[in-house]
Amino acid sequence: MSMLSPYRVLDLTTERGLLCGQMLGDMGADVIKVEPPGGCAARSIGPFYKDAPHPDRSLYWWAYNRNKRAVTLDIERDRGRELLRMLVERADFFIESYNPGYLAERGLAFTDLATINPALIYVSITPFGQDGPKAAYADSDLIIMAAAGPLILAGDADRPPVRLGVPQAYLHASADAAVAALAAHHERMRSGLGQHVDVAAQQSVAMATQSYILAAPLGSPEVRRMSGGIKFGPLDIPLIWPASDGYVAMTFLFGTALGVFTARLMHFLCEQGFCDEATRDKDWIAYGEQLFSGAEPLAEFERVKEIVRTFTRSHTKNELLELAVERGFLITPVADIAEVVESSQFASRGYFQNVAHPELDESFRYPGPFAKFGATPIEYRRRPPLVGEHNSEIYRGELGLSEREFAGLSRAGII
Amino acid sequence: MSNELALSDVKICDFMWVMAGPASTRILADYGATVVRIESPTRIDTARTLQPYLDNKLGPDSSGLFANCNAGKFGISLDLGNPAARAVVLDLVRWADVVTESFSPKAMRAWGFDYESLSKVKPGLIMLSSCLMGQSGPLAKIAGFGNMAAAIAGFHNLTGWPDRAPAGPFGAYTDYVSPRFTAMAILAALDHRRRTGQGQYIDQSQAECAIHFLGPAILDYTINGRIGGRIGNSDAALAPHGVYPAAGDDQWVAIVCRDDDDWRRLCTAMKNDELARDSRYASAAGRLAHRDAIDSSIAAWSRAHERETIEALLQSHGVPAHQVQSSTDAYRDPQLKHRGHFVALDHPTLGKFTVEGPRAKLSRTPASVRRSAPSLGQDNQHVLENILGYDEERISELVASGALG
Repeated sequence: MSMLSPYRVLDLTTERGLLCGQMLGDMGADVIKVEPPGGCAARSIGPFYKDAPHPDRSLYWWAYNRNKRAVTLDIERDRGRELLRMLVERADFFIESYNPGYLAERGLAFTDLATINPALIYVSITPFGQDGPKAAYADSDLIIMAAAGPLILAGDADRPPVRLGVPQAYLHASADAAVAALAAHHERMRSGLGQHVDVAAQQSVAMATQSYILAAPLGSPEVRRMSGGIKFGPLDIPLIWPASDGYVAMTFLFGTALGVFTARLMHFLCEQGFCDEATRDKDWIAYGEQLFSGAEPLAEFERVKEIVRTFTRSHTKNELLELAVERGFLITPVADIAEVVESSQFASRGYFQNVAHPELDESFRYPGPFAKFGATPIEYRRRPPLVGEHNSEIYRGELGLSEREFAGLSRAGII
Repeated sequence: MSNELALSDVKICDFMWVMAGPASTRILADYGATVVRIESPTRIDTARTLQPYLDNKLGPDSSGLFANCNAGKFGISLDLGNPAARAVVLDLVRWADVVTESFSPKAMRAWGFDYESLSKVKPGLIMLSSCLMGQSGPLAKIAGFGNMAAAIAGFHNLTGWPDRAPAGPFGAYTDYVSPRFTAMAILAALDHRRRTGQGQYIDQSQAECAIHFLGPAILDYTINGRIGGRIGNSDAALAPHGVYPAAGDDQWVAIVCRDDDDWRRLCTAMKNDELARDSRYASAAGRLAHRDAIDSSIAAWSRAHERETIEALLQSHGVPAHQVQSSTDAYRDPQLKHRGHFVALDHPTLGKFTVEGPRAKLSRTPASVRRSAPSLGQDNQHVLENILGYDEERISELVASGALG
């Protein structure tokens, strides 16, 4: 038995909310993706299998629709909405990510569906939330990253702020939505009642500022972007360092907690002849304050960083990783996607999973279960569904439509 | 109608520290869970040392990051190396539904607080361990923070400019992603236990969670063999798609055209007939091919206008645009204000302490932030007396033992 196997989720999300249903599906829920006839627009987002656009071969779609079944249904038409309401009667969760008001105009608001199914948990994922001065704003990943705070913090100082190269905003929102849905579900087990969950991507993405979004209300200075690090007042703090064959991420910081690691690293550097004992023996706990107060000149910090850079540059990424494991340094390689997928760490945990795609007579490696559950391991039961793949199974098999009704709906383009 | 907080009956004994772990139990506390966090009196929680600080002053309770991750929780200080602390921990485990920890693997085992031991004390226990790389594998014991997990999970190499070294992303990225998976895993495991009585141990790797946020790029490699690189702010299918300069020093606005209609509306808003008429730019493919020229035209226009003006103008034409917001901007942002994103809490010694509010709105049982993050040992008396039911004598003995620090 899997954790959420008794529950059914209707997933009406657009490209904004696909991960939410997948997270519930991974944990065992019966997720039905409800798409417009012809398929969800997200199926046209690349990359594609062998780079050939096809609604059943979008890798963006594949990444976020595993463990779901799929039906088509035209909510623009009465008969389609009737079918949807039949599905709602038997559903525990309803997830959607249309612009605020869109479903309400079609008689499918939370309040409408709650009259059919008072226990329904209705989850809305939108750019800015259901209401407020920017609720109707046109949006995209980059827009949310700009509005929520992480964008300004990343990038080279002499170029515009830069986003993560793979869209992130709606993943943050979808993940928050999945948590909120389960919190509401937990409450439903006591009250028997559903409710509306309203998630705004802007608020979810603010999580990616590492609480720096609080700088202004706390009366703390803003930090400024710097390639591979942070510009903090007069200090350039690198977090990415050069290796002989690429880059590594290294936490080279100070203070009671982090200075200990820096001291450990500097001892090793001294041992290896990269610096003298006086440099090794600086007070790495108090070093940050010394820099801010001017007791330690910035030029000296630059010299120290050059010493550390000389060390990192003299080793490969893997050598630095091995040193980190052996000696407790805070270093990991900046891995490209191939290095991630071929990593011995992930292999040893059996992370990447083969998922069979019988329609192509192939199987492909997917990112594996997000955690190892001792009693109820996550299973990849279903590859991402084809357009309308489960129409017959669900409309005929579960809703009990006759062959004639089913054929009529197909002919009319409702399913 | 019931309006108790959604998780008002959930009890969590929380050993997590720094960022990723505490951020997950913060979510559960917002929804009403009672979270008792155990903090070492000798080994300071790294989060307490991290910026930004209240009034820009370092102090034991002044970290905004710590305050943000731990609001709504109770705090007890316990020296886990002290034998007298053991009985307290075991009583907390008996009280709790869920035990969470985010030390490096083996630490809990060394104290005798591994799942096998604790589930004997509390049958049906749910326990979740979260660490950078998971409990097993050659890198299981690597010490570190979310920036390092993000690098090894592929995020850094994909963030920045194609002609430059990796730029980011900002900070400990996997610490932003994994807390949601942590909270979800706990809630799903609770549901399973409610139905079956069965508890379980959950081994969560923060890197493995975060990789789901790179799903399409991973599949592009495993299926098409393509190793994605840095692409600045561009998009494979859309143009224009970028961050453009606005009037003033280091002021920026993000602008995106999702389709040809957006492009026409952008040209109208910029009052640029020449761009609008240029047939090379009528389709996304054409605009992608001439991305640099289009970006220059937009930048020449945007540089002459305030970023708020650009945002308002383009949005009034239905074109996705937003000023690139700093903390100061976000604190003034009318939408975040409307959503109640910033919550000023009363702090027992520091006056008002602002944290972020809950990130999702539940219509009937809304989440709330009920108290500021605890100082070290702030709730020792409350936890020992009211939660564990210890009498004064027992509490005095504990104090005398030094187990509370």
